[in-house]
Amino acid sequence: MAAFVPPPGAPRPNNNSNTPPPPPPNYNAQRYPDSLSDNMQNLNLNRQQQPPIMPNAAPRPSPFGQPPPFPGASAPYSRPGPPSARPAAPPQGTFPPGTAAVRPTGPPPGQSSPFGSRPPPPGSFPPGVAPTPAPASSPFQRTGMPSGQVSMPPAPSSGPGPFSGGQAVPPTGAPGRMSNGPPAFGSGAVPGGPRFPPPGNLSQPLVGPPPPPTSVAPPRTPTMHSVLGGPTPPGSIAQQAPPFSSGPQGMRPPPPGSPYSPQSWPMQQGQVPPPPQFPGSAPPPQYPGSSPPPQYPGSAQPPRMYGMPPQPLPNQSMTTISSAGSQTGTPVGSSKIDPNQIPRPGPSSSVLLHETRQGNQANPPPPATSDYIVRDNGNCSPRYMRCTINQIPCTADFLTTSGMPLALLVEPFALTHPSEEPIQVVDFGESGPVRCSRCKGYINPFMKFIDQGRQFICNLCGFTDETPRDYHCNLGPDGRRRDADDRPELCRGTVEFVASKEYMVRDPMPAVYFFLIDVSMNAIQTGATAAACSAIHQVIADLPEGPRTMVGIATFDSTIHFYSLKRVEQPLMLIVPDVQDVYTPLETDVVVQLSKCRQHLEDLLGRIPTMFQTSKTAESAFGAAIKAAFLAIKSTGGKLLVFQSVLPSTGIGALSAREAEGRANISSTEKEPNKLLQPVDKTLKTLAIEFAEYQVCVDLFITTQSYMDIASISVIPRTTGGQVYYYYPFSAVTDPAKLYNDLRWNVTRPQGFEAVMRVRCSQGIQVQEYFGNFCKRIPTDVDLPGIDCDKTIMVTLKHDDKLQDGSECSFQCAVLYTTLYGQRRIRVITLSLPCTSMLSNLFRAADLDTQFSCYMKQATNEITSSPLVRVREQMTNLCISSLLSYRKFCATVSSSGQLILPEALKLLPLYTLALIKSTGLRTDGKIDERSFWINHVFSLSVPLAVPLVYPRMVAVHNLDIKKDGDESPIPPVIPLSSEHVSDDGIYLLENGEDCLIYIGSLVDSGTLQQLFGVNTADELPTQFVLQQHDNSLSKKLNDVVNEIRRQRCSYLRMKLCKKGDPSGAFFLSHLVEDQSPHGPSYVEFLVHVHRQIQIKMAS
Amino acid sequence: MDFVELEAIEGLRWTWNSWPSSKADQSALVIPLAVMCTPLMQQAELPLLPYDPVTCSQCAAVLNPYARVEYTSRLWFCSLCLHKNAFPHSYSNIGDTNLPAELFPTYSSVEYSRPSSSSPPPPPTPTPSRTWSNGGRLSSSSSSLSSMVSSSPKNISGPDDPRAIRPAFVMVVDVATPRDELVALKNELLLVLEQLPETALVGLVTFDSMVRVHDLEFSECSRVVVLHGDRELSPLQIQKFLGIYRPKQQQLGKMPFSQKQGFLLPVSECEFNISTAIEEIQSSVVKPGQRPGRSTGAAISAAVGLLEGCLVSTGSRVMVFMSGPATIGPGIIVDPDLGYSIRTHRDLINGHAPYYSKSCSFYGQVSQRLTDACIVLDLFACSLDQAGSAELKDPVERSGGFMMLGESFESNEFRKCLRHIFTRDEEGYLKMYFDATIEIVTTKDVKICGALGPCVSLRKVNSLVSSSEIGEGGTYAWKLGTITNKTCIAFFFEVSDAHKVQLGSAFFIQFITRYRHGNMGIRKRVTTAARRWVGNRSAEIAAGFDQETAASVIARLAIHRAETCFARDVIRWLDDTLIQFASQFGDYVEEDPSSFRLASNFSIFPQFMYYLRRSQFIDVFNSSPDETAFFRLMLNREGVVGSLIMIQPTLLQYCFDGPPIPVLLDVRSISPDVILLFDSYFHVVIHYGSKIAQWRKLGYDKDPNHENLRKLLEAPEIDAQQLVADRAPAPKLIRCDQHGSQARFLLAKLNPSVTQNSTYTNGSDIILTDDLSLQVFLDHLQGLAVQG
Repeated sequence: MAAFVPPPGAPRPNNNSNTPPPPPPNYNAQRYPDSLSDNMQNLNLNRQQQPPIMPNAAPRPSPFGQPPPFPGASAPYSRPGPPSARPAAPPQGTFPPGTAAVRPTGPPPGQSSPFGSRPPPPGSFPPGVAPTPAPASSPFQRTGMPSGQVSMPPAPSSGPGPFSGGQAVPPTGAPGRMSNGPPAFGSGAVPGGPRFPPPGNLSQPLVGPPPPPTSVAPPRTPTMHSVLGGPTPPGSIAQQAPPFSSGPQGMRPPPPGSPYSPQSWPMQQGQVPPPPQFPGSAPPPQYPGSSPPPQYPGSAQPPRMYGMPPQPLPNQSMTTISSAGSQTGTPVGSSKIDPNQIPRPGPSSSVLLHETRQGNQANPPPPATSDYIVRDNGNCSPRYMRCTINQIPCTADFLTTSGMPLALLVEPFALTHPSEEPIQVVDFGESGPVRCSRCKGYINPFMKFIDQGRQFICNLCGFTDETPRDYHCNLGPDGRRRDADDRPELCRGTVEFVASKEYMVRDPMPAVYFFLIDVSMNAIQTGATAAACSAIHQVIADLPEGPRTMVGIATFDSTIHFYSLKRVEQPLMLIVPDVQDVYTPLETDVVVQLSKCRQHLEDLLGRIPTMFQTSKTAESAFGAAIKAAFLAIKSTGGKLLVFQSVLPSTGIGALSAREAEGRANISSTEKEPNKLLQPVDKTLKTLAIEFAEYQVCVDLFITTQSYMDIASISVIPRTTGGQVYYYYPFSAVTDPAKLYNDLRWNVTRPQGFEAVMRVRCSQGIQVQEYFGNFCKRIPTDVDLPGIDCDKTIMVTLKHDDKLQDGSECSFQCAVLYTTLYGQRRIRVITLSLPCTSMLSNLFRAADLDTQFSCYMKQATNEITSSPLVRVREQMTNLCISSLLSYRKFCATVSSSGQLILPEALKLLPLYTLALIKSTGLRTDGKIDERSFWINHVFSLSVPLAVPLVYPRMVAVHNLDIKKDGDESPIPPVIPLSSEHVSDDGIYLLENGEDCLIYIGSLVDSGTLQQLFGVNTADELPTQFVLQQHDNSLSKKLNDVVNEIRRQRCSYLRMKLCKKGDPSGAFFLSHLVEDQSPHGPSYVEFLVHVHRQIQIKMAS
Repeated sequence: MDFVELEAIEGLRWTWNSWPSSKADQSALVIPLAVMCTPLMQQAELPLLPYDPVTCSQCAAVLNPYARVEYTSRLWFCSLCLHKNAFPHSYSNIGDTNLPAELFPTYSSVEYSRPSSSSPPPPPTPTPSRTWSNGGRLSSSSSSLSSMVSSSPKNISGPDDPRAIRPAFVMVVDVATPRDELVALKNELLLVLEQLPETALVGLVTFDSMVRVHDLEFSECSRVVVLHGDRELSPLQIQKFLGIYRPKQQQLGKMPFSQKQGFLLPVSECEFNISTAIEEIQSSVVKPGQRPGRSTGAAISAAVGLLEGCLVSTGSRVMVFMSGPATIGPGIIVDPDLGYSIRTHRDLINGHAPYYSKSCSFYGQVSQRLTDACIVLDLFACSLDQAGSAELKDPVERSGGFMMLGESFESNEFRKCLRHIFTRDEEGYLKMYFDATIEIVTTKDVKICGALGPCVSLRKVNSLVSSSEIGEGGTYAWKLGTITNKTCIAFFFEVSDAHKVQLGSAFFIQFITRYRHGNMGIRKRVTTAARRWVGNRSAEIAAGFDQETAASVIARLAIHRAETCFARDVIRWLDDTLIQFASQFGDYVEEDPSSFRLASNFSIFPQFMYYLRRSQFIDVFNSSPDETAFFRLMLNREGVVGSLIMIQPTLLQYCFDGPPIPVLLDVRSISPDVILLFDSYFHVVIHYGSKIAQWRKLGYDKDPNHENLRKLLEAPEIDAQQLVADRAPAPKLIRCDQHGSQARFLLAKLNPSVTQNSTYTNGSDIILTDDLSLQVFLDHLQGLAVQG
């Protein structure tokens, strides 16, 4: 690995070839409980300090800032770094198919086939669970998968290598092996096509697990194209077993192969399997379960895999779940599925290296939730834009048949991994970027130059344009322009152009921050005002430097108080009492340059809480206040940061506490759309549109202890490209830190102002609709007064023509925006995907995370207007229909008794179930919480979508049982099932927003003492603040929490849950695999899905 | 008796000092029966009676020297209605030798002062309650007045904290004023602040395009409530926005004045804050090419709303300092765009002043609010251009407020004005009398028609009120927001035909002026005047004619008419009146103009009318609407002497030959070797003849050899200073040389007896004009008068 030759042109700041990427700056360093804020500080990634050249170049710590993925130990694998075009396996630059050597490091001798991953002996599993499943499952083993195949095919034995690494280090050891990676590969990439000679055949051998006893097995094998075959030598399996045993919960063991291989889960009726023997059975559980380490196959592998040109693989990976009696075709209710074998998300893995194109073909991206480093060599990084299917169906009918959605999820300002090359900035000078004269598409690597470079054909509309004279360049022998590799716009999927005058209606706006703070009696008394003031006070230092940074501040209760910041004397408060028809009190002085008023502003912020201490004003004129603040910054536009604590009760857009009114009949309304989730009227919407028109972006920090009608007020942030933060019930003890960190991240994250975005597609496809936080005034563009790295926009697509099989279809997202430093830029993100008319390709190319994000967004869109029951049903049906399509057209398994899942979508049922049970689709929560959830999902990015509904749970009581070789501070993930939660454990569950710490009833007091400094759980205050105590366990917990914060770019709201009280029940309600009033258990749901499919097949 | 001497005693000037007894005879007089009354005229001998007046139970007239008193039965007969009244107990000692001051024949005016509750009542003082129950009509009528009037008796009689009654001053400052100007203004305001009594309430409102009401209590930072200048807010809204609104019910409750508000506080409590606030006022930024945003109307409305909300109804002033026209909101004068010029008289006549009538009606409402809450509006407009005083005239005039038009806040005129307003009397009280009402009681044959002056009719009718109205009519009581020693009101009367009056008998008119003295005590000044009924055509009528008073009364009528009519109609009316007057009182042979003669006490009247016709009051050609408004406002409150100066300026000539002598207001009075001192009330011009000017330029006056020149130059200066000293607003003092540009102030007023058309100039200066000269005017008058 050492030798890594950096690609010629690419400047890469951080990237050190072999050496593990430098640790994200601050991240690791600081793990002090209290230093949350510090951590967040580091988050301020892209402060684009060197605007001119590479805005993004600045170190971006955060999200990716993860500690170097590669454990020292895994040195062999470490190769991730090199972005070399070749998917070079670390050791060997090239990656000869056969080379077993690659995997090198030593797979534990014991290992058998890579795929054999199934672990272990039943015994290893958690008591209750393991036994049954094991047997049952045994019949169906999950097979090693594609990935495994890929690399291994030639030499199965060698294959194990990668895994072996994992195995060796049972749980933790293998950095990221399988988890996400696998599915992706399995389906889309299925890579190895080229490399692997006999696809189909090969696969079979791979399958490790012994054939299931049941009849099921046979069908499978055939079907499984690669999948099932798992001919792992039993022996090997046995060996694997050990790893599991070590872990208390079966999961630890690295299920190497599994991810990639399709798996089948037998649904058996209470059969008693021979536990030990079927090693195969054992593995399943872990697999999904988070075996932490297992995840990514050797880091080495992934790159390869991705790199591989996608080729139609005969074998599709798939997962089947068959019921025991399946032959009859009816999975009977009584049939049982081994809960340990059903698909579950794999553990997160170590860093993968992803090249966006390889062999002149689009390379399917790794799962959104995995950790990867992108090398942009034509297609954009999947962080910026990803498609629900990585191959585009040729016709609309074909798409319909597949039952899958076709949409792009665009996150134009997504955070990148620090090791990634920053987006390059290209300046075309006065003339502006080269564009197609017909569709106005921007120059990109897929524009084809012809006629000695004198003309080019637009990949979007097909029009032939003249090359501008000064842009002319001869073509090389390969038909590319000779300068293609020197020009970022011709070799990068993401590039930024400096906007010329033509793109400006006015001078680029300055960075304007207007803070608006609720000072009504309630806000003062709960400490919300003080928290807001203190947060702002601290954040001032993080605002961009320079004369273009302007600030303003106002407070409000039943009137609005502006402050003149320019004065030399004491501050001047200007009260606007007319809350029906507001105005801004000064033409100047309300918004001033930060550099000229820093001192005053700080003084003022210190005074505000006391100034209103005696206030008796309970009313809040929120609508009027934002309107007034808007008027104050109307001339420039800017960010309006609002801290609101009570229901707006007076003035423009006053709201009533309709929750109380609505509650009476709420229970009966599951069959009707819930009006409380809709905005009460159009007032605020109208206001919001006006804001957007003047480029005012509103962020809302709701620090409340009561109903706020988020459904109504969230319209404003949503329309203006802003964000809602919800602190409920606000606590002056626990929330100020989060408030500060949220605010800090809000202003320091990469972002742009006064943006306009448009997505263009190749002929044959067109944009159907945009979905997200923006304002749309004309059909083709979306206006984004503010856009930042946390906002994703979904763009649904539709066919308007037939596409040519084998051709490529391009998507180009162009975002014209103004940087914090007042430069006008156009960020152009281009993605080109192959078209296909093979359904199996589609399924292989399906991107589960992206599809699921789509479903979630779709669901949130529906919730407000449809009855909940119907939404749930609809979501279930969406899940069923794509599985049905697969079953019908791709799976050749004749047994109807099996539930066969495409590998890529094997987790779809689980996620669907989780979605159905999510906050937004439940009726038991507060209406505001649901509204917030809905609003949150609107702009949620792909990597955060799944965790939101299917949270991550880890055990923390045994954190300090150190596993060697596991460099990630985050322990293995536990399935969300109460079976995995024991009374003597402490668990941490997080979904990117909330972080629950659950304390069982029998927890050892020593552990409590270590973690929380108390002897019994009863002593813990309900308003919990995580502190670091001087012991390794506590330190580790803090490390874990900080790592999660970093990953999620969110400070997380900590809640303490104790078994036996309501908070415990609250925690348990997050365990989506359990049966609950909100929905069936995972197994039941699978049965339901299976039955539906069977019914539909039969009909 | 000389009318002027009489005025010094009574404070009254009568157009006719003897009245004919029938209506027909009265109308033949041409000049109406009117009294120019200066209610609070400073009088040498004015007894101040420390008790309440005794009033007639029938007509509410106050006991006066003309009443017939029966000492033995302790009865008195009202001189006006002849009703028999008993003296109250406190008068039990009354007797020939023991007369209360109000019965002294020499005291036609007396002043009653209710002692403040702290000091014990002096001897002949009835108990308060009795006093007021006695004055049945008065008190009942009072209670129907505005809230302030009704509350004041309570304040007097009740145990109220005297501190609760205190004047309030709200400064309304235009911050669209240029910086230097604003600095001067701020300094003046700070001085004013120092001069105010500790207990006086103060408030501060600043405005440009927004109106800012300053909170003077908040200590954490400066705090102002900002009202949008573009909005016309109701008083209720203003109070709600200021947080000082109290629902009616609460008003009846326990705490009438304890509402916490920081906008209007006693100087003692907020001196620091308000000084800081004033010091911190900064000029607002003006966009180039635009007039600065000024929301004068909204600011005034807010200030008034504040006073209303704080229930300060015992006298308060809203003092507006502005430096330009309102450009937005209610009361807008002109668009902010400099492309639009500010309205002129021509625009007003042609209807090209889009905002004029709307703004006037807005200020009309303000004016009503001022009256209701007993608030005075003062206007200090310092601007080179018009500032919109014309529209603002109504509230200023009706509330009795002060108006000043100046060019700069740095000017002396402005400083003098401001200081003048806040002067104190010997006892240290502000010489500021608030909340006055004037009631008139007359003999029943005299009917009250109305009044012209800075007052508002209270619309209280009794049998003495005539059905025909002149000016503020239909009442026997008027209200004045404030009143000064000089405030002069013209009251109009007519003779009732109902009863046959006995010729030669006397009739009485009693003026009862109730006001709040600078010490916040209520005072009543009662002036009782007696005149005689005479027969028609009797010589006494002619002898009783006061042509000066007549001129000033006619002038008031004329400007009153001019508010609603075109100038030429007013002039026609004046001419008609004059011709009628001349033919009525002239001595002539019909159809023979040359035979026309007027008796001496009628003879100057036509000349007054001549100058009135061409004065700036009627002929607005050379004035802006603002100036016209100001001139008329001043004329409408000035006494006879002052009015005459305004109508026909005085001209004094200084030369080496002797003491200064008055000369004709004629172009021929200009001469190279004399100095003229011209006084038109608003301007005082010292005009140096060309020779004198030359000498002065050569510095002869500094040459000891030409001591006499120095003295000559000094004399008019000294006199001018005297003229200027007493007037408020102080006149503008102009020094100019013959043929200098500034000489226009003089030339414009002179009788153009020599013009460019004159055949013989006799070396006199000429005035380039087509105006007719006095001689021509009189010739025509004679001709018309004799036509019969």
